[in-house]
Amino acid sequence: MKTLQNFFQSLNIRNKVLIFGILMSSIPLLLISTYYFSFVKADLENRILEKQNLMIESLSHEIEFDFSQIFQRIHVFAAMNQSNMDINALYEMLTKSPSVEEIIVSDDKGFVEKRVSRYELNLPGVNEEWFTDQMWFSLQTEEKIYGEVEFNQYGQPIMKLAVPFYTNDSQKAIGVVVQLQTMIGEISSLRQDDSAYIYIVDGTERVIAHQDYSRLWQKQSTLPDKKVIGVKTKLENLNWELVMEQPETTAFAPIYKMLQNGLAAALFVILTVSLISVWAGLYFTKPIVQLDQEMNRLKRGKRSTPISINRKDELGKLASTFNHMSRDLLEKSQQLEQEKERLDVVVNGIGSGLALVTKEYQITWMNPILLSWLKEEQLSLPCYTVIGGENSPCVDCPITCADLEKNTEQLKKFTNDCGEDRIFRHRVFELNHAIEGQGEFLIVLEDITEQKQMEEKIIQTDKLSALGLMASNFAHEVNNPLTTINVYAEDLIDRIESTDDDLDDLEMKYYLEKIKENTQRCNKITSNLLNFSRKSDWSLEILDINKIIEDSINLVEYQIKRNRIQLVLDLEAVMPTVLGDGLKLMQVLVNLINNAVDAMEPEGKLTIIATADPNGSVLLKVKDNGHGISTEVMAKLFDPFFTTKPVGKGTGLGLSVCYGIIQQFGGGIRFESQQGLGTTAEIHLPAQSRLKEGNSYVENQTISR
Amino acid sequence: MKTKWYFFLLTILAASASIYVLFDFKEEQPIKIGVLMVGENRYEKFLGLQKGIEELGFGESEIDYTLRNANDNQETLREQIGFLLHSKLDLIVTLGGIETSMLKEEMVRLNKKIPVVFAGVAAPKELGLIDDYRKPGGQFTGINNYHTSISGKRLELLTSLVPSITKVHVIYDSEIKVSQLSLNETIEAANKLNILIEPSDVNTDGSLRTLRKTIEKDEGVLVLPSYRIESLTNEIVSLANEKHIPAMGLYEFDAEQGMLASYGASFYSQGYQAARFVSLIIQGNQAADLPVELPDSIRFVLNKQTKESLNVSYNQDLLMTTDFIVNSDNKGGQNQ
Repeated sequence: MKTLQNFFQSLNIRNKVLIFGILMSSIPLLLISTYYFSFVKADLENRILEKQNLMIESLSHEIEFDFSQIFQRIHVFAAMNQSNMDINALYEMLTKSPSVEEIIVSDDKGFVEKRVSRYELNLPGVNEEWFTDQMWFSLQTEEKIYGEVEFNQYGQPIMKLAVPFYTNDSQKAIGVVVQLQTMIGEISSLRQDDSAYIYIVDGTERVIAHQDYSRLWQKQSTLPDKKVIGVKTKLENLNWELVMEQPETTAFAPIYKMLQNGLAAALFVILTVSLISVWAGLYFTKPIVQLDQEMNRLKRGKRSTPISINRKDELGKLASTFNHMSRDLLEKSQQLEQEKERLDVVVNGIGSGLALVTKEYQITWMNPILLSWLKEEQLSLPCYTVIGGENSPCVDCPITCADLEKNTEQLKKFTNDCGEDRIFRHRVFELNHAIEGQGEFLIVLEDITEQKQMEEKIIQTDKLSALGLMASNFAHEVNNPLTTINVYAEDLIDRIESTDDDLDDLEMKYYLEKIKENTQRCNKITSNLLNFSRKSDWSLEILDINKIIEDSINLVEYQIKRNRIQLVLDLEAVMPTVLGDGLKLMQVLVNLINNAVDAMEPEGKLTIIATADPNGSVLLKVKDNGHGISTEVMAKLFDPFFTTKPVGKGTGLGLSVCYGIIQQFGGGIRFESQQGLGTTAEIHLPAQSRLKEGNSYVENQTISR
Repeated sequence: MKTKWYFFLLTILAASASIYVLFDFKEEQPIKIGVLMVGENRYEKFLGLQKGIEELGFGESEIDYTLRNANDNQETLREQIGFLLHSKLDLIVTLGGIETSMLKEEMVRLNKKIPVVFAGVAAPKELGLIDDYRKPGGQFTGINNYHTSISGKRLELLTSLVPSITKVHVIYDSEIKVSQLSLNETIEAANKLNILIEPSDVNTDGSLRTLRKTIEKDEGVLVLPSYRIESLTNEIVSLANEKHIPAMGLYEFDAEQGMLASYGASFYSQGYQAARFVSLIIQGNQAADLPVELPDSIRFVLNKQTKESLNVSYNQDLLMTTDFIVNSDNKGGQNQ
């Protein structure tokens, strides 16, 4: 059963439709036919038995009647002719009994006294014995005697019957020879329907009449044992048994014929239904098979041929949809291939390391760049070990961070095998459609060492450029105290040489104090200059914003004064501290102040505002009332090497560097300008407390009015 | 895939064909029976045969008779036998001894094997038609009409019926074996009964004329079986009537034609009885297995007109056991 079930399941849909059709057509037909066949067979058997019963009952009565009639005639004859048994009386009885071929009258010893024969001469033999011993013995006690079935000289079956009678105190007997051939012949030759036959078995179980003469005179037990429908009846006086039988094969021939026709019809129906099923199978499954074939082609990556079905039913629609779908799929596959190729090129050529990481920090995939950065033994390690160099997940790991989007970018510094420090930008992106366990996060590791170095160089270049531009100012700034020193020094020398008595120690001390004071001033200016010009890496320190503003103003103080700029400082006394590089912030402020001074006419007004923003950041504003910035220029404000200043006055790197530095602070810078009225530069810096919370503030935009 | 479908269809067709072969119900074809008779006077046997077959349950459409009549000519008889043997028949029914004997000769000569039912042959064993009465053995079986063995009985009945008969002229055919055998039986019985008989061979030229001249009052005529004698029935009747001689024939036909009496199986009854053999063979029995039967009935028939025309005294008791017949053309007792 299991094998059959497996076989059925392994069939294709076309064969299943065929088998279904055949089963649906044949099973009900066969069940009905079987029921009808059984019913008809039982009914036919009953009818045959009824008919056979009628037949043998009739025959048995006929046979018994014939013998009874013969005995009756003998008895009548014996009673009427006891004293005168003449030949003519015997002839008369012979005439009345067609089956009797001989009548004899015996004496009291059993010898034939008189005879009338149908075939032989009537002359009795001398002491001719007619009775068998058994018959003669029976004659002494019984009124009618049946002899055995025997044969005459012509081989005809005969039977002797005898009746005793009494005359003159002696017992004589009348015997008759009954010819059985007519009875046997009629029974045997009587045509029966459908090979039915009748036979008679005598008391010795010998067949004395049979339709099949080859069975005659054989023992009943030697008759072939075959399945028959039959009945039998006993002829009590004769001790015969009358049997009627019919072989089942012929008895049931009509229903076998019916069965044959039924089977032929069933086969025809099955054949027809099979053909219809074949057609239906082909009709219904052809599109499915075509779909299957084309889908297999698609699965193997081959180009599928459009299915051509001129039908408007569901299968037609399915085929049409499949054609559309396969076409779309093909196009999308091509696009995907292109995308994949691009992605491969990008992934392999981006220069960044990419990795897919699961929630359990397991790396499931790396691009060749990342692979080249790692050692073989690192490949199976979790990401925090490979990338973070930690033994447990990083404290600020974006994967475990609740708000991934705001904490995706980190800078990491590693030392490579050559002992060289490398800076990497570490970013994590959550993949929304990733399959669980195959990497739900994409890690991008970008080697930005060169970029950082370049940025530093640009910053330094900008700084040096600013210093170059401020050089004359510095010179003037230094020159003034130096001139003062010189004046005090010459005046002191002159008074010493002139031995001015008024020059006492107190006054000399005053002179020296002035020289020292101006020297310190020079020192401060040069220290500021040196400090500003110092090339340094990004360093983190807690910054006092007001102090940074003050230092920045010191650097540009001479310019402000020279241009008679009115400097207004609006600084809150208590400002939140900021974490970052103070020099870099100073560079930003110097750039902004220089730009403001350049934008203003002499006696302009420069306002520097420092306030604590309510949302926890620090807001710095550098506001001038200069000529403002045009809309066209505003769009290119942060572009590197873009400048509106005359040649030799600016490099075009200033605002670009400011932008980069403020970015590094995690803050934002923006400009508001109105032509002819002035410009305000706004810098938002995250306060130290906010940085600790991990927030970053990015707002880089320009608004032009 | 197509091969699978072809194979499937072929299987279905083969299964259908197998079922037909398995059941193989042949359509009933009529049974072809050839009937051979030497002369028209045996037509009664054919009628009896038809009736018997009909009463045994065979419909007209089931039996196809091919009746061939030789019109009392032996050459014609041979031709008719040839015709029947070359026809596709299921069996042949012969209506007399000569037909059966010649048929057997031809069958042996042509090496043909077909069941034959003889509807009344006297002494078939002696003629070599069968091996044994109970087991005929060959292709032949049928009815021993007992006309040979019964010849003595007929002599006894004739002399018992007309006790005044002093001499019986026995007409026989020396060229017909059955007739010769019957004569032997008659002679044997005559000896036992102490009756004087005078054989008269119909093959002897002018035998009937001689008989006419020599026959005298208180004599009788006994006819023995022979198809030639059968063809001379009218002449014998004429002789008997002319000489007022009681004549004993074989068949009812003889009495009907004007003989005083006949004792034997009638043509009709022999034909009727032969139907049983036909039925048994049709139903699958072999002729060799079917015992040869004696006639079911032998009738003692008296022509009432002839009886009355003869000036003889009869055994009145015996007369009571006879069946009287009246011939329709009133031939009995006429002087011709």
